[in-house]
Amino acid sequence: MTRLLVKRILLGVVILWAVSVVVFLATQALPGDAARAILGREATPERLAALRAQLHLDEPMWVQYFSWLGNIFRLDLGTSYANGMPVTQLLSSRLNNSVVLMLCATVISVPLSILVGTYSALRRDKAFDHTTSVISLVLASLPEFVVGIVLVLIFSTGALSLLPAVYVMTGSGSAWSDPTQLVLPTVTMVFAVSPYIVRIMRATMIEVLESEYVQQARLKGLPERTVILRHALPNSIGPVAQVIALQLAWLAGGVVIVEFLFRFPGIGFALVDAVNNRDLPVVQTLTLAIAAVYIVVNLLADVVSLAANPKVRSAAR
Amino acid sequence: MPSRGQPNAGPSRRDFLRYVAVGAGAVGAGAVISGCAGGAVRKAPIPSGPPQYGGRLRVGIVGGSSKDTLDAHAAVTHPDQARIFQLYDTLLRFNSDYQIEPSLAESVESDPQALTWTIRLREGIEFHNGKTLAAEDVIHTLRRIADPADPKNGAVGLSSLDLNAMQALDARTVRLTLNRPDVTLPDQFAEYANGIVPVGYDPNRPVGCGPFAFDSFEPGQQSLFTKNHNYWRNGEPYVDEVVIIDFPDDTARINALLGGQVDAIDQVPLGLLRVLDADPNLRLLESQTGSWVPFTMRVDRPPFDDVRVRQAFRLVVDREQMIKQVLGGHGTVGNDIYSPADPVYNSGLPQRGRDVAKARQLLREAGKENLTVELVTSPVAAGVVEAAQVFAQQAVDAGITVNIRRVDSGEFFGDMYLSWDFAQDYWFTRNFLAQAGSGSLPDAPYNETHWNHPEFNDLVYQARATTDLARRKELVARAQQIEWESGGYIIWGFPNQLDAHSVRVVGLERDKSGVPLNSYGFRHAWLAK
Repeated sequence: MTRLLVKRILLGVVILWAVSVVVFLATQALPGDAARAILGREATPERLAALRAQLHLDEPMWVQYFSWLGNIFRLDLGTSYANGMPVTQLLSSRLNNSVVLMLCATVISVPLSILVGTYSALRRDKAFDHTTSVISLVLASLPEFVVGIVLVLIFSTGALSLLPAVYVMTGSGSAWSDPTQLVLPTVTMVFAVSPYIVRIMRATMIEVLESEYVQQARLKGLPERTVILRHALPNSIGPVAQVIALQLAWLAGGVVIVEFLFRFPGIGFALVDAVNNRDLPVVQTLTLAIAAVYIVVNLLADVVSLAANPKVRSAAR
Repeated sequence: MPSRGQPNAGPSRRDFLRYVAVGAGAVGAGAVISGCAGGAVRKAPIPSGPPQYGGRLRVGIVGGSSKDTLDAHAAVTHPDQARIFQLYDTLLRFNSDYQIEPSLAESVESDPQALTWTIRLREGIEFHNGKTLAAEDVIHTLRRIADPADPKNGAVGLSSLDLNAMQALDARTVRLTLNRPDVTLPDQFAEYANGIVPVGYDPNRPVGCGPFAFDSFEPGQQSLFTKNHNYWRNGEPYVDEVVIIDFPDDTARINALLGGQVDAIDQVPLGLLRVLDADPNLRLLESQTGSWVPFTMRVDRPPFDDVRVRQAFRLVVDREQMIKQVLGGHGTVGNDIYSPADPVYNSGLPQRGRDVAKARQLLREAGKENLTVELVTSPVAAGVVEAAQVFAQQAVDAGITVNIRRVDSGEFFGDMYLSWDFAQDYWFTRNFLAQAGSGSLPDAPYNETHWNHPEFNDLVYQARATTDLARRKELVARAQQIEWESGGYIIWGFPNQLDAHSVRVVGLERDKSGVPLNSYGFRHAWLAK
């Protein structure tokens, strides 16, 4: 088990390094460079030369990459080309905002999906089950920006003026300062991840409800509530955990589109902006962070499923 | 509007800019157009009465990014420009008719040769930090902009300035000696990119003489400015706070206005005009401008090195159809020459119209029948890509095949910028000589068409040294005629500036400059309770 973990962590580091090389090359392959992107139309040759020297863009490509890599080993993420701030300082508030959004989405979508999925399984082939399955299919097949636009149309600019259509900071800079602004982005994310969890929960639950030990519990005359809460649910959570983990990993990347749509100042919004500016240090940091989330979550999901497997557990002892 | 002094004068009258007292921002009650045809929606009435004080004006501005800056002289994005207009004032300014007016300077005078210039500052103006505006600040500002080691946006326009020949005659008077005659100096002093900053200016803690002082700034997000209680214009500004919010995404900007999260937005996308029009609480602010989005033909490379090909391309364009299809009718027809708002503009040239037969004949004479060209386009300004598509359709009638190559703005302004054989660009309103210095002379930094016509150059150099307006008008008329006959621009139209705001916002007027929202003139604006 430990050996496996060490191997997986090493593999994760190698993958991260590969991602950094690919992102670096991809950013270099984009037409134009940071100096051009930053100066826009004001890019006279004199000003370009001055800025390129300032940002060390005039050095060979491999020198740029390895100086960035060397800084990473010193835990220095570098400074943003676009505004000269240290990347950590630039991104810390954005990261906090995105984490707030993801937490809100997680805290709502996970319990809700488990509840809906379980209830669907219990009401199998009844009206509730059919409705849920249609809705979750539709939501799963719609891109999240479509869902977001429709929500804005319904709740803020169209029929009802209930909720803010975009996120505008109200001064303090913390995402909590005006919770109503978080509603629509959060709901969009919830709609994006819930359908999958609902469907897997329902399928697993149906399987468990038909299993021998649930039948046995019922024959013993236990009340239905006890049967479900004590016997069925705990046994179905295991397989569902992996799907939940993957959905949460998706949130880290999927947040990009949702943030851009709602003008939410998080890492997704920052990533779109950084790519436009060819702001390499920021692009690298953000893509590596998103990749790291994926790697860690996958690793955790594997560890959970291994730990749940008695064969592996006993072998590890 | 009050009468205005002549912006220029001959050698007989040395004093060529007279200070004219301008009443506190006229209330732009008439500054509203009822938007699109139809106008079935009953709009809420415009608040009337004297301006009310107080409140927070929230404005959504197109674009913006983490590269945003507060530097008075290095604006790149629209939000940068919007902030500059709040923080800093210039020596002179363009009013909403694009006429030059005194601002921080009460006069700017030149000798008859346009070589020696004297700037006289208004008395008792204070920077946000309490420092009194003095001659040293003006000299420091000009030196900072034109610094050869780190040239700022305005450096090109101030190239006639001799940095070693600037002297303060007294606390309020600056004497400049130029290295060549240049009557466009007042234009440069009125450009927003040349705001006056104090000695010891630090862009991270920006201080200016503008109507609003700096409070907070998050690049790519938003910035907050508070009322300058010592502002030199009586009665202005009206609102206590201005919030400038960046909106890289059009949809989000419109949604924020519709949902009441902002009070005003700039650059309404044409496709969304109807949406705004249907809302009784929103008003469109539409201004005719001298902004232009030309097609640029390189006159030094085939096929456009043959003047007949350039003429044919200009004759192929159906200008009215362009205005209708690309701008939804929100624009005015162009005649292949720029600066229509300039008093010296040559309005005597015949308006060029569509003549496909003539175009075909010219192409035949040039041996360029069934010509195929590549047009490089990019969404760098509203309507640019659409114009390319419409042009390609119109050109078919003359046997021209236009292959459109759409690139993103990063590539468009990349290493090939100013070198494309056939492309497009965009420009704001400018007067002729200032524009020629930016884009039509051999040493101009943005000469997209590689235009280098000895007689034209000569006329511009002469005009730059001619303080007599009548004589200058003759020189410019001839120069524009040369451009009209053989230049490399196709200037099919001048798009209107379209902005929108809630009915609560009063005082923003139409503005010919092409800079959105009355040149981001939030000092004029007040909020009805």
